[in-house]
Amino acid sequence: MPLNQPQLDTLRALLDRLIPEDEFPGALAAGTDKFIIKLLTHDCAAEAPKIAQSLTQLDAEAIACHDHPFVTLPIAAQDTLISALEHNRTATVWPVTFPAGVFINRLIDLAAEGFYADPQNGGNRDGTSWRMIGYDPLLPARPSAP
Amino acid sequence: MSSVTSNYDVIIVGAGLGGGIVAGVLAEAGQRVLLLERGRDLRYRDIPSDHLRHHRLSLYGDNTTHAPDGHPRVFVDPQGRSRTVFPHEADYHNNALTVGGGSRIWGMQAWRFHPDDFRMATRYGRPPGSSLADWPISYADLAPFYERAEHEIGVAGDHTATDYAPRDRAFPLPPVPATPTGTWLARGAATLGWNAFTPPLAVNTKPYLGRDGCVQCRQCIGFACPSDARNGSHNTLLPRALATGGCTLITRAQVARILTDASGRAHGVEYFAPTTPDSDQTERRTAHAATIILAGGAIETARLLLLSASAQHPRGLGNHSDHVGRHLQGHYYPVVSGLLPVGFQNPNLGPGVSIATTQFNHGNPGIIGGAMLANDFVKLPIIFWRSHLPPDLPRWGQANKKAMRELYLRGIDLRGPVQEIPSPDSRVTLDPHVRDHFGLPVARLSGTTHPETVRTAEFIRARAEDWLRAAGAERVWSSPMDLRLSASQHQAGTARLAADPREGVTDPFGRVHGHDNLWITDGSLHVTNGGFNPALTIMALAFRAATKIAAKF
Repeated sequence: MPLNQPQLDTLRALLDRLIPEDEFPGALAAGTDKFIIKLLTHDCAAEAPKIAQSLTQLDAEAIACHDHPFVTLPIAAQDTLISALEHNRTATVWPVTFPAGVFINRLIDLAAEGFYADPQNGGNRDGTSWRMIGYDPLLPARPSAP
Repeated sequence: MSSVTSNYDVIIVGAGLGGGIVAGVLAEAGQRVLLLERGRDLRYRDIPSDHLRHHRLSLYGDNTTHAPDGHPRVFVDPQGRSRTVFPHEADYHNNALTVGGGSRIWGMQAWRFHPDDFRMATRYGRPPGSSLADWPISYADLAPFYERAEHEIGVAGDHTATDYAPRDRAFPLPPVPATPTGTWLARGAATLGWNAFTPPLAVNTKPYLGRDGCVQCRQCIGFACPSDARNGSHNTLLPRALATGGCTLITRAQVARILTDASGRAHGVEYFAPTTPDSDQTERRTAHAATIILAGGAIETARLLLLSASAQHPRGLGNHSDHVGRHLQGHYYPVVSGLLPVGFQNPNLGPGVSIATTQFNHGNPGIIGGAMLANDFVKLPIIFWRSHLPPDLPRWGQANKKAMRELYLRGIDLRGPVQEIPSPDSRVTLDPHVRDHFGLPVARLSGTTHPETVRTAEFIRARAEDWLRAAGAERVWSSPMDLRLSASQHQAGTARLAADPREGVTDPFGRVHGHDNLWITDGSLHVTNGGFNPALTIMALAFRAATKIAAKF
């Protein structure tokens, strides 16, 4: 497991804002958190330590700005914090090698990759995002190709 | 490692479009052919429908490369920093590593080049610093072989519309059906007074040559075809070669060097291959033949010529005038996106490419060459999210999610393969440090295209924006082009055709100067790469070379 429990909780809270539930399921209901964990365990294992560290840093940032860890912040404060990270406006010192803006943009990418990719990747359960936007690959049930 | 030696009439290195065609023609002419392919012979089910690991979006791998760590390359950026890269990375400039090569997963656009694409230097002059040159052959030399490729591979198109390149015979298959975006674009072209038509695609629009028609799935480019309706040499000429009983295909075979004698004659190859087809044990083998043909793509063919240096040819085979590996080029692709005022009632079916114009391939004031412009394949949702949402939209949150569902079916875009102005400094060399799985020096890619390429690409980008606006797009946007190395789309140019051995690597048929039984049949030969997808030209050159080789037997 590339993340400890507080980091995992922060990741899930973050995903819930990056792709929130509305009339359609959001990232968490679609399993996008599991997609990211799987990726950080396998294809992107080398990237996992800095993602983990940044999730801890996000909590430190939330406490510095709002006196609470990210998971317990009101939605509006979470969104304000995410926007600030995008612009590298931070109250705490982030690593020069992996600044806040790079971190949050990476998480935004990972969330969308899981949510909008094929269900087999694990972050788009039952093709929920595809139904939302009107996409179906229309692959034949019995392909005739050898 | 054991050592095995065998004898053939012909050895072909690479079972992509060109290699498969030469194998078919020569095996049917009675030759005993050894076809060596670095990748595997993948079935439909071996090529996953993974939207993050395919050949248009290979974020964490791709769906044809096995053992990707075994075949690194080195990429040198414009600032001179080098790094080791792997097949799924953009800087690798990959082509699918499998029997069939890129044609297992290609977009199937099967264009003939424009007659003026063969005489770019004559028409435009040679810009300083560039290596722009004429081909030593004309469109007329290649026309009969274009026709043969269209019929033996299978191309669908409208022969009444493609009059930029004169033809004697209709396409064997009817054109792909119209799509909703194509209908909008047709109206836009009419408004502008532009000629637009259905582009030629190598797809079975109906059953052809014993295989099914296209089922119009909405994955297509980058993936294997579920009905085997996507045409290439892997499902046409290669099966014909194997059916003769005279062609031996060995997969997972990496050629280490071409063997030449003191006179320059190529007499065989050394290669690594599994001891049995499924084994992980590798052995070094030697095979001999009267004719050797290289078809590994512009990067690997150049690498192999350089790897084959000998006492007589210390700079590599065919490299006496220092052209091997130089003039590496592909296509710059301006991509212009827009939003139609309404979503389509019936979402586009595959393949999706349905309208094109050749209005701007040549004759653009103050511009060298140009490009064909066409609409695109059905967009995967994740590709739409990454590259086709309006640039001022928030990248996350409720607004982004809402935009995905409101805009996905309204998206429309155009792109076009810009004819590049080659630079001798855009090149393949051997890396002095990094070795592949077999201990062979890997390809090192460095340099950039010529700045004139960027200028042409910017002109084409502006025309694409004009077209989208005229088609009724409410918003239109695109990104400026920058100067870089370009070979991931349609690698070419590294062993250019030239009548004069001082001007290139091969003679006008593709025979390497100074090595009269060593041939090349891939994009390496292209002096320039046309303002079109180049696959049909690779095929036509392969048919032409194979015919020439077969005539000598």
